[in-house]
Amino acid sequence: MSGPLLSIENLRTYFYSRAKRAFIRSVDGASLDVARGETLGVVGESGSGKTVTALSAAGLVTAAPGVIGGRITLQSNGTARELLDGLERYVRVEEEDGRVVAVEKDERGWRRHAEALMAGVRGKEIAMIFQNPRAALNPYSTVGNQLVETIRLHTGVKGEREAKERAIAWLERVRIDSPRLRFDNFPFGMSGGMCQRAMIAMALSAEPSLLVADEPTTGLDATIQSRIVELLGDLKEETGTATLLISHDISVIQRLSDRVAVMYGGTVVESGRATEVLARDAPARHPYTEALLEAIPSAEAIRNKSYLRAIEGDVLDTIEVPRGCRFYGRCNKVTDAIRERCAGLEPPLAEVSSGHKVRCWLYPTKT
Amino acid sequence: MRRFVQTQGPIGEFSALPLLQRAETRDLLYVGYGLLIVALVIASYLMGAFGWLPHDPRQMDVGLINAPALTAGHLLGTDFLGRDLQSRLILGIQAYFLPGLLAIAISVAGGCVLGVLAGYRGGWLAAVVTYIDNLLDSFPRLVLILLVIAAFKADIYAIMIVVGITGMPETANLVSGKIAFLKQKNFIEAAHALGLPAHTVILKHILWLNCRTLLVIQATLGMAEAIIVETSLSYLGFGVQEPTPSWGNMVQAGANYFLQGNFWPSTAPALAILATILGFQLLGDGLNNMLEGKRRRG
Amino acid sequence: MKLSAILPVARVLRRELAVTALLLLGVSVVVFTVLQLAPGDPLNVLLEGQSPRSQQAVREALGVSHTWYGRYGAWLAKVVQGDFGSSIRTGLPVLPELARVGVNTLYLTLGSLLLTLLIAVPIAVHAAVNGDTPGNTVATVAAYIVSAVPVFWFGYIVVYVFIHYFEMFPLLSGAAAKQEHAWLYFLVPIFVLGTASGTLSELIRHLRDELSRVLAEDYIRTARAKGAPVWRHAFKEGFLIPVTELMSAKIPFLLGGAVIVEQVFNWPGMGRMAWQAAQDRDFPVIMGIALVAAAFVRSGNLLQRVVFTMVNPRASKG
Repeated sequence: MSGPLLSIENLRTYFYSRAKRAFIRSVDGASLDVARGETLGVVGESGSGKTVTALSAAGLVTAAPGVIGGRITLQSNGTARELLDGLERYVRVEEEDGRVVAVEKDERGWRRHAEALMAGVRGKEIAMIFQNPRAALNPYSTVGNQLVETIRLHTGVKGEREAKERAIAWLERVRIDSPRLRFDNFPFGMSGGMCQRAMIAMALSAEPSLLVADEPTTGLDATIQSRIVELLGDLKEETGTATLLISHDISVIQRLSDRVAVMYGGTVVESGRATEVLARDAPARHPYTEALLEAIPSAEAIRNKSYLRAIEGDVLDTIEVPRGCRFYGRCNKVTDAIRERCAGLEPPLAEVSSGHKVRCWLYPTKT
Repeated sequence: MRRFVQTQGPIGEFSALPLLQRAETRDLLYVGYGLLIVALVIASYLMGAFGWLPHDPRQMDVGLINAPALTAGHLLGTDFLGRDLQSRLILGIQAYFLPGLLAIAISVAGGCVLGVLAGYRGGWLAAVVTYIDNLLDSFPRLVLILLVIAAFKADIYAIMIVVGITGMPETANLVSGKIAFLKQKNFIEAAHALGLPAHTVILKHILWLNCRTLLVIQATLGMAEAIIVETSLSYLGFGVQEPTPSWGNMVQAGANYFLQGNFWPSTAPALAILATILGFQLLGDGLNNMLEGKRRRG
Repeated sequence: MKLSAILPVARVLRRELAVTALLLLGVSVVVFTVLQLAPGDPLNVLLEGQSPRSQQAVREALGVSHTWYGRYGAWLAKVVQGDFGSSIRTGLPVLPELARVGVNTLYLTLGSLLLTLLIAVPIAVHAAVNGDTPGNTVATVAAYIVSAVPVFWFGYIVVYVFIHYFEMFPLLSGAAAKQEHAWLYFLVPIFVLGTASGTLSELIRHLRDELSRVLAEDYIRTARAKGAPVWRHAFKEGFLIPVTELMSAKIPFLLGGAVIVEQVFNWPGMGRMAWQAAQDRDFPVIMGIALVAAAFVRSGNLLQRVVFTMVNPRASKG
């Protein structure tokens, strides 16, 4: 079994705005790998496409047109599964000038085929947790019952009593107090942090190969955030589950990730080992990553009460995607030598050192 | 197969296309048809009011009973007494037009008052308004109207007052819902913070700026309701009486001939009812989708 | 269902019952007020047609007071005991008569409610799950048209079809001529009211909108993410609650439609009785019908509240 657990190649997920009669290019050619047992942190501003990438991998994009291109391979239990296999039959993309101008999609056929592909994968091989945990749990059902449902669906445990015991064990494992009592609680009666723990328990109780965590700490109190991060870290070591961690919070990414991918404007602009990408001073890095890191106030900056270093400009409007490098409009590292290329041609994601890739014209490719 | 096409060039980040361009064709068709009907109704009302009718609606032509359409200058034929159907149909609008306006005036105005009382102040006032709403909703409208008829005889204006009053809860709910939405978005608090007096906030900001579309929609739907009530009542024999035509009593009078196989005298007014009610309902729904629609995912 | 789950539900129910009682009280006030506002001494109207001596006796027996709330109290006391007075036209006591014919109206109303749901639900579910397909647009437009058709005319069409094509005759007297097909006669008015009552398009639209909204909720996404059957999670909020809400909300509407349909088919029910009473200004009867109808509406509402409280965990926390 070689190769990464999850491999996303050139994913394109588009949405459509009826009000503007235009495509929203949420994910526009993104490629990621998650190796067995590792945590890949995906970081970027809102609108960078990181959440949609995760949703696309889990087959949860329902809005039209949705996933229109790319390849997602999941290797687990000795078999390699193509999660987008055959879907080209249902989608026809018309391009003009390298730009998508029209999409035709047979929605029902696509949905049926996609459901068939994802059956047995969703929940069992790929489990997902979301932000806003209280809204993500069924308000009409007890937390315990929702856990039991997962256990009975995806593990060998079919008996109700057995499943209940297993569920309570998991509640304990995610450090929820009085798990036996909490079993009968409804989500509205639990705090946000507790709901998130319950959701983590629910996802992991199926013993998946990959856990996709979409902004698991966003919306929680700062102290609770820290606890959840701790819990995720501990569980990662205990279970060895690979994780695709999405967050706009760099500190969370830093604490949990083995490798990091930085997304901007729907593509990956930098990827590599966490220590390399997030290091304070690195020999080669994408200007966006640098700006992100600089935006975090350092202890010194706080002491000196200096201004925050914000990134100039607005987040990329994913309707009007520019021709050249997507970050060109906000980049403060452009030199005259490469200006023309930055403005007109999108740089490829190229290796600058072993395992470290950057999408920028500043760095000549290492062939 | 669904087709998505990028038709617009750069239009700016947060702006959208103007209303007519971004509305769905279906809704534009609904509204178009609805406006057509409204125009026809208003025109016919005026024609009936001023007597500009193709034939005298009371003139009976005994030799030409139940004539089908397009006979001898009668565009839609004649009824069982030889009277011109087209003129009678046009005149039939008199039976519900003004009363209907009364009904929607009451239900919209009353609904606004109740909705504002419930939403703006809240507290016990809201509970009282809720009680009134539930009370009014407890009666089947027709039964209440029959009760009023038993008490006061079948005066169409009294009946439309009842229709208007029973229509208030729906508008009230929508208005107080809008106010709750505005409160949640802190618009009202902001208006207060700016020092605007209560009556300005209510009249200008809440009702005019934010509620006017839903009030218009309620008015069109209310008119459809009024027409349904009036035609049902005159079918039952409580509305205008012979020889004055009303679409309801025309259907009823034509029913005998229906069962003998002659459909037209009963069907012509029924189609008029259908087309008109449909017009007002589609207008209301189309406007609702265009102006107040909530975006659905996928 | 655990006992601990039933107790809070019972507590909420107590409150709902109290509210219902209060509303029924309000209903009785409205009904009585209409009576009071009618021109002429209402008591005269009630006593119309009886001999002056018996009128006097009744007045004395009633101890008719001169204040309106006194009279209201007296009237209400009798109503609560089940004495709705007697019909001016027939002299028969109102409540037993209503009970006799009310069953037919109940049957008609509930039957057509069921039929409307049977038509509306598949269309609504299909529209919510599959979005705007051409089939859906056709169905929606058809529903609009059917809902705008005047129900009385539609009744005639159906009667005509039955007389001429199925040779079921006479339908108009409400009595079966051919015994072996008798049961079919009873379905016809239900069919008419169920399709053309005017509620169909609204039902479809509302159910579709609610189900769409629920399907877009976060917790449904979680259910999909864990590979659980979506319908199981969407059922309560997306189907059960909206359907019961609509059912209870449309009962008054269908009762009104029943008045008309009973006319078309000469169906012996409360609706036809109401029509007759309005013609004759038969106060006790029409007031009784108004009370019974409102009581029926409120019981439907109460039932819906019960279902809602049982299903919704937050409701029972008060």
